[in-house]
Amino acid sequence: MKEKNNNKSNANEDLKTNEVPKTEGKNTNLFREESQEGELLPLSDEQISQLMQSQPPSEHESEAGESDDESEDYESLRQSDDGESESSEDDEDSAEIDSDLGQEDEPVDGAIESDSSEDEVAPRNTVGEVPLEFYQDEKHIGYDISGKKITKKERENKLDSLLASVDDSKNWRKIYDDYNDEEVEMTKEEMKIVRRLLEGKAPHADFDPHASYVDWFKWDDAKHPLSNAPEPKRRFIPSRWEAKKVVALVRAIREGRIKFDKPKEEPPVYLMWGDDSSSAEKSGHLTYFPAPKPKLPGHEESYNPSPEYIPTEEEINSYQLMYEEDRPKFIPKRFTSLRSIPAYENTIKESFERCLDLYLCPRVRKKRINIDPESLKPKLPSRKDLKPYPVACYLEYRGHKGAVLSVSTDSSGQWIASGSTDGTVRVWEVETGRCRRVWEIGETVNYVAWNPLPERPILAVSVGHDVILLNTGFGNEEEQKQVKELLHVDIDAAPLDSDKMASTVNWMQDDKHEGIRLRHFKTVSKVEWHRRGDYLSSVMPAGDSKAILIHQLSKKFSQRIPFRLHGLPVSSVFHPSRSFIFVATKKNVRVYDLFKQKLIKKLETGLQEVSSIAIHPGGDNVIVGSKEGKLCWFDMDLSSQPYRILKCHPKDITSVAFHRSYPLFASSSDDCTAYVFHGMVYSDLNQNPLIVPLEILRGHNSSNGRGVMDCKFHPRQPWLFTAGADSLIRLYCH
Amino acid sequence: MVKHYRPPGKKKEGNAARYVTRSQAVKQLQVTLQLFRKLCIYKGVFPREPKKKVKGNHHTYYHVKDIAFIQHDPLLEKFREIRAYQKKITKAKAKANKELANILLTRQPSYKLDHVIRDRYPKFIDSLRDLDDCLTLVHLFAVLPAIDRVKIEVKRVHNCRRLSHEWQAYIARTHKLRKVFVSVKGIYYQAEVEGQKITWLTPHALQQVLTDDVDFGVMLTFLEFYETLLAFINFKLYHSINVKYPPILDPRLESLAADLYALSRYFDASSRASLMEPHVAGSSNLEQVDNQPDRKQHDESDVRLAQLQHQLPSNEPGALMHLVGDVGVDTDNDDDEDTRQCKNLFKNMKFFLSREVPRESLLFVIPAFGGVVSWDGDGAPFSEGDQSITYQIVDRPTQGHKYLSREYIQPQWVYDSVNARIILPTEAYTVGRVPPPHLSPFVDHEAEGYVPDYAETIKRLQAAAKNEVLPMPGVGKEDIDDPQNLLVEGYVSRAEAIEAAEKRQKMMTLEKQYHDELKKELQGVHDLSSVSNAIEQSPGKDAEAVKETLPDLKQIAEDAENMSTIVMSRKKRGLYKAMQIGKERKHSRVNLLKERKKKLVEETQKAKNN
Repeated sequence: MKEKNNNKSNANEDLKTNEVPKTEGKNTNLFREESQEGELLPLSDEQISQLMQSQPPSEHESEAGESDDESEDYESLRQSDDGESESSEDDEDSAEIDSDLGQEDEPVDGAIESDSSEDEVAPRNTVGEVPLEFYQDEKHIGYDISGKKITKKERENKLDSLLASVDDSKNWRKIYDDYNDEEVEMTKEEMKIVRRLLEGKAPHADFDPHASYVDWFKWDDAKHPLSNAPEPKRRFIPSRWEAKKVVALVRAIREGRIKFDKPKEEPPVYLMWGDDSSSAEKSGHLTYFPAPKPKLPGHEESYNPSPEYIPTEEEINSYQLMYEEDRPKFIPKRFTSLRSIPAYENTIKESFERCLDLYLCPRVRKKRINIDPESLKPKLPSRKDLKPYPVACYLEYRGHKGAVLSVSTDSSGQWIASGSTDGTVRVWEVETGRCRRVWEIGETVNYVAWNPLPERPILAVSVGHDVILLNTGFGNEEEQKQVKELLHVDIDAAPLDSDKMASTVNWMQDDKHEGIRLRHFKTVSKVEWHRRGDYLSSVMPAGDSKAILIHQLSKKFSQRIPFRLHGLPVSSVFHPSRSFIFVATKKNVRVYDLFKQKLIKKLETGLQEVSSIAIHPGGDNVIVGSKEGKLCWFDMDLSSQPYRILKCHPKDITSVAFHRSYPLFASSSDDCTAYVFHGMVYSDLNQNPLIVPLEILRGHNSSNGRGVMDCKFHPRQPWLFTAGADSLIRLYCH
Repeated sequence: MVKHYRPPGKKKEGNAARYVTRSQAVKQLQVTLQLFRKLCIYKGVFPREPKKKVKGNHHTYYHVKDIAFIQHDPLLEKFREIRAYQKKITKAKAKANKELANILLTRQPSYKLDHVIRDRYPKFIDSLRDLDDCLTLVHLFAVLPAIDRVKIEVKRVHNCRRLSHEWQAYIARTHKLRKVFVSVKGIYYQAEVEGQKITWLTPHALQQVLTDDVDFGVMLTFLEFYETLLAFINFKLYHSINVKYPPILDPRLESLAADLYALSRYFDASSRASLMEPHVAGSSNLEQVDNQPDRKQHDESDVRLAQLQHQLPSNEPGALMHLVGDVGVDTDNDDDEDTRQCKNLFKNMKFFLSREVPRESLLFVIPAFGGVVSWDGDGAPFSEGDQSITYQIVDRPTQGHKYLSREYIQPQWVYDSVNARIILPTEAYTVGRVPPPHLSPFVDHEAEGYVPDYAETIKRLQAAAKNEVLPMPGVGKEDIDDPQNLLVEGYVSRAEAIEAAEKRQKMMTLEKQYHDELKKELQGVHDLSSVSNAIEQSPGKDAEAVKETLPDLKQIAEDAENMSTIVMSRKKRGLYKAMQIGKERKHSRVNLLKERKKKLVEETQKAKNN
């Protein structure tokens, strides 16, 4: 605190006594500067000499010794400031001490004041530290040393001052001094000092802030050494730790842990696969799948492909509409010369993707099937060897006016009957195509079936809710007589039937057609005769538990089959030799023993909707046609699963049929075709049936989306009858 | 009981025991994912596809043995060591112990990949099989600008460049290059080394686009492995032709970026050096001597000096080396037909490349097919003014001054000739013309189903050349260049005649077949009619039936096709259908090409008429 005060007072005194200490200030603070500045040199020389004289080294020492009581010193300093200009030595010292104490600012301040402003212009104003605002409104700025008012200068016009500043190259050096109301121009030297200050250096260029320390203490030849302790023993004994370390090093060298010569550079490459035979043994690793090689480029990747490889504008535009995955990755371009090929922008990206593929993609060895697709086809026996089978259409039976829904062949093979949507049942002579008889039923005829017995030329026809048994009138008189007897229903006898069935089926005499009408309670879709010709079964898909009925012609008696039906019944067929009945529902086929009244087998078709069923004359094989166009062959001895599924038709299969004697079967479909297959069943149980597709029979036209409605084989010849929705019946012969 | 319940103490079985997911593998190896990837790349371990994915469908599975394979590799331990060492360095740096850090930095542990290579490729041929990707990547990095970038060190780029040149030099020297294809993506080369077809892609020598969406770390890891692999392969290949491997090149040529030429010089020098050895029979090296007279004049002393310098140590294994060498050269003599053909393709031809022609590729290709080549620039073996130059390759719209003694052609001529293996006529390739289409040599035209026009002309030329060479070799040899074209034209017409004859023959056979079919059909009809005899039938219907059967011939064929598909099992049918779809797609592609071509032809004709 004291020191600071002192300094302040010092500064104040400086201000007050500006005349006297002027030279002094120079001496004290800036004696180093003088060597540089030429104008001040004469003075400095004097002063240096003065200094040299007035400062004996001993005094230095003493002063250093006394540096504790500085206050005294300052006292003396003040005195000297006040009075004697001669005692400069003291002053000098004090200044030095000042700087030593680290208060560098003060001397610098002093330097500026003493050096520039005070030299040239004495501070005119004597108002002291009064705030300048006090004089803001006055015409004067203060008082000069003699007490007179100092009037303010005329303010220059701003424009003028600007012009002046532009004109004057030294303008940037001018500073306006508020206190004295005057402009001060800084000299070059002052500028240098300011610059150095801004850089944070000592103001004087020659000042060395890091002067090397000069030790004042003389160490040698002292009478009394600082310490009198004797040299310790350890200074004369070899170090144990060092010895240990040395031993460790020696050991390391001996053991080869420390090597002095650099490790020998092994050659970076050498002959790795010197002798291939030696490394032939298998490594124990997993099998290595080499990565698939990238595809080799085709013509289109050429820089100059044939013009046909370059897509047109429209094609390129159409790529935009494609899915991104389908879009071609590479669009061929053409460059007319090698020099015009640009850099390919995806080079790095593609090779990066390849790298990713190499280490991220799971690899699986997949067998690429590089075979001729033809070799996939199974070897089938030549069709020539399987003759005869129906090949071509020979006859068309014309006469129906609506789609023919069903045909049926007479057991002798001389006649066929057909039922159509135009409400007629016709009987045709097979060989001539002549229509022999027509019954006008007046309602769509769903199904016709000849009685299998040759001596009973009876036709069962399903029409709406009815099944009509018609006497065709063929056969000799005796037979006719029997038939007429059979087809006679006692009106009294009907109510005698069991009460249960009375509601479901009514046996009535049909006088119009000279037959029997069996009235059902729901639409009858199918009628099938038993091989003996006495029983017939009718199917009412909507009949629930009474959907399938069995009628006995001789007794005029009807009964429902004593089994629960699982699903909608489609068709029911009698076994050709045993007392079995096959009931096809939409999903599967069940085989019941009518005699023992139990389920024999359930055939799982796996189809969506069964449409038709046919039994091989042997009775062990069944074919089932479905509405999805699939044909299932069941070998009942083999399993309840289909032995073979043939996907032949693109549309619904309407009917399937076996030939009675030839190894043939056929399927007809709504796609206007009928397929003929060879289906050989061997008596050897070890041999599976042989199925060979033989022929696709075409010729029918589609009408209302329906094609061929029914197909039946000729009982003795390898001929096929097809009933088409185009109101035709066709006969295909071998 | 739960379906997958495994009683305690019972080991896992099946896929669950054989495959682990990636995260399991990483855990087992106790490494970071990055390091795991790196190890996978080095060791060539890839994910596998188990039949049953026990952990779910969205995992990648590795085989347990693969992981064990990584675990037992010294690399894993080495990487751990390196990591520990790096920690030491960071610690030293963190403690401002610069001295220690520097010492540590100088002694960093490093790893080598040679045992991995030996492990992965126990036989040399195995490594050649996997070389495609290696060469492509090395060639790609070789053309990257050698500027210090954050990721790619300049050293590596230079190394890649060196390796690729060494490889090319070997291929060119042994004439193993087979096909070249200039595509938009770059230049494809195919060489045949030890029976293996090796294809690689070299990008065009232009500034490459460096994208941000590429992880260079992965690529550099691959590159590191590939560099090592290629170095070893080069060593083996050089060894097989008795050349010391790390070749010492003429620094002057190297600085001129004519590395390939420098390498070929090196080969020459070393073969000469072996010639001077007393053991070697002169006969075995005769072909190499053939090439020398024209090269000897360009010999420079510094190359010789370098040769001698490194020959000194290489002499020590002397006798055995030469025994092997002799065998090698002997096999060289009876090398296969292909190599001989390639070697002699550009024989006795001198090429000169103009300034603007991409030099690297042609300097590789022409010597590989037996030609001599020079270029416009420093260090070239001969200058443009050399009178013995037969072809000058130019890639500019017009050529100012022309020497009459040589032909001026576009670079594509070289590539096309190489692919066709004959010297093509040069008219179409002269300066300023749009050259004929450049076709890919990798396409199998028969499999593709479409043959571009130019491929046909080339085929005809090839046939002509063969005919020419076979019956009268003497005539062919006497006048090689100029009259050849005439001859070729003559033979072209002959070949055409032959082809026409063939066509006629084919037509004949077809006709015959048709007649046969007709006959058969008639027989069929006859059969039918015989049947109809049995049955009474109206003649009108018969005629109708015949009429119906006639247009159905196609239908019948189709039916016959369908017949067998019906009986197929579902699996086979699916396969068959897929094949048919593929066939159809190919067919449509070919049709598209044909259609485009038709359109183009029409357009050109229109333009002509107008």
